[in-house]
Amino acid sequence: MIPRHFQITIALVLLAILVSGIVIIRMTHKEEALTLQAAEAAPAAPMVGGKQEHIQLLLAYDEDQALRWRPADIFLPADRNLRAREMLRSVLAQYLQMPSPHPLAKGADIKDVYFISDDTMIVDTTAQFADGHPSGILLEELTLASLIETLTANVPGIAKVKFLVDGKERETLAGHADLVSFYQTAAVHELAKEFE
Amino acid sequence: MRWSKTGAGLAVVAMCCALAISGAALRQQPTTDRQAVQPGTPSPEGQKHAPEFFVMIDPSHGGADKGAIFGEKLMEKDITLRLAREVRKELEERGIAVRLLRESDIDLSLDRRAEITNEQRAGLYVALHAGRPGKGVRVYAPALTDAQQPLAGRFLPWESAQSAALGRSKNVARAVSEELRKKGFTVASLTVPLRPLNNITASAIAVELAPDADDLQSLESQKRQNNVATAIALGIAQVRSQIGAHQ
Repeated sequence: MIPRHFQITIALVLLAILVSGIVIIRMTHKEEALTLQAAEAAPAAPMVGGKQEHIQLLLAYDEDQALRWRPADIFLPADRNLRAREMLRSVLAQYLQMPSPHPLAKGADIKDVYFISDDTMIVDTTAQFADGHPSGILLEELTLASLIETLTANVPGIAKVKFLVDGKERETLAGHADLVSFYQTAAVHELAKEFE
Repeated sequence: MRWSKTGAGLAVVAMCCALAISGAALRQQPTTDRQAVQPGTPSPEGQKHAPEFFVMIDPSHGGADKGAIFGEKLMEKDITLRLAREVRKELEERGIAVRLLRESDIDLSLDRRAEITNEQRAGLYVALHAGRPGKGVRVYAPALTDAQQPLAGRFLPWESAQSAALGRSKNVARAVSEELRKKGFTVASLTVPLRPLNNITASAIAVELAPDADDLQSLESQKRQNNVATAIALGIAQVRSQIGAHQ
């Protein structure tokens, strides 16, 4: 016959093991979720140095269906391609913050920006940028106009811009806005006025 | 005698089987673009060079392409199809011929939509959409942001096939916007580089229905869809003579 106080002690030890097990499992899950979140939010390209500059970003505001210029102080490198990329990433950073004036999916980022001729620029975005972009003519056009106008306002000499998604051509951004064509920046400037 | 009866019986059974199999095959066959065109109209081949004016209504998205999703189950592809049927009814009541690019839930690429519209020589192309944000209705005229020099001969650059009809498209967009305002809708008239509008050789516009504030059900409202359809039809009827048959 096992004494009663011994039975109670065993039961309490078992209960303590069970509770600590549950706590450890939950903590592990939480840690995994945080790691995943951090990985998703990690930039697609490494941050670059440079000196801080005062520039203007054209941001989309869904509530007002409008584009508005906003000042920003960001670190910009001397290289033309890297400068352009950092500017676009600054625009996307505004959209990824909470609350966002124009919400985009986590992981929306600029992978690469490069010139294919003196005045023609390719903007390569992450897959999440297009895959998770809210679908709708206006929402998609606001995103593209905001990016193109910010580029042309701060990087002189860009006449045409084309978007790629994860290195490949895509028909539309999220079912509406054209991603096949090269965007003539002068034409986009005129269109953007309608939203300002 | 008995053999001939048996033979006749077998023949009837064979015919029934053949009919059943072909019926099943037809049901399983993916709906082609041509089948998606409004029933009752002659074959596209027969109409390829038909001079009469008709409006090609495009219920955007369809099949795997759901378009925008509202709430849990309301999809843009379904809203556009319902609205397309309303617009067809309103236009036909005004004596304007109409074809729908799709009558059911099928996949159609943007290029294919433009190809069908151009091949059938539509007088006007109207793409219907539904989307956030805002409220009311947005009417879009095409904008060419990739202007290309016309090629020699009878071919047009695909990306700017709309260039010759741009002015007429803007007139249609203006007339439709005006009629929508008369119906009391908040209307935004915009120009955007939207596919497949830029690949269409005829006049082309897009109409996007936005939910009333946060009331997503307003997108499904029969009354609202009727009003939008009536306004679109009135706007088109108004500029019908200016658009003319396909050039």
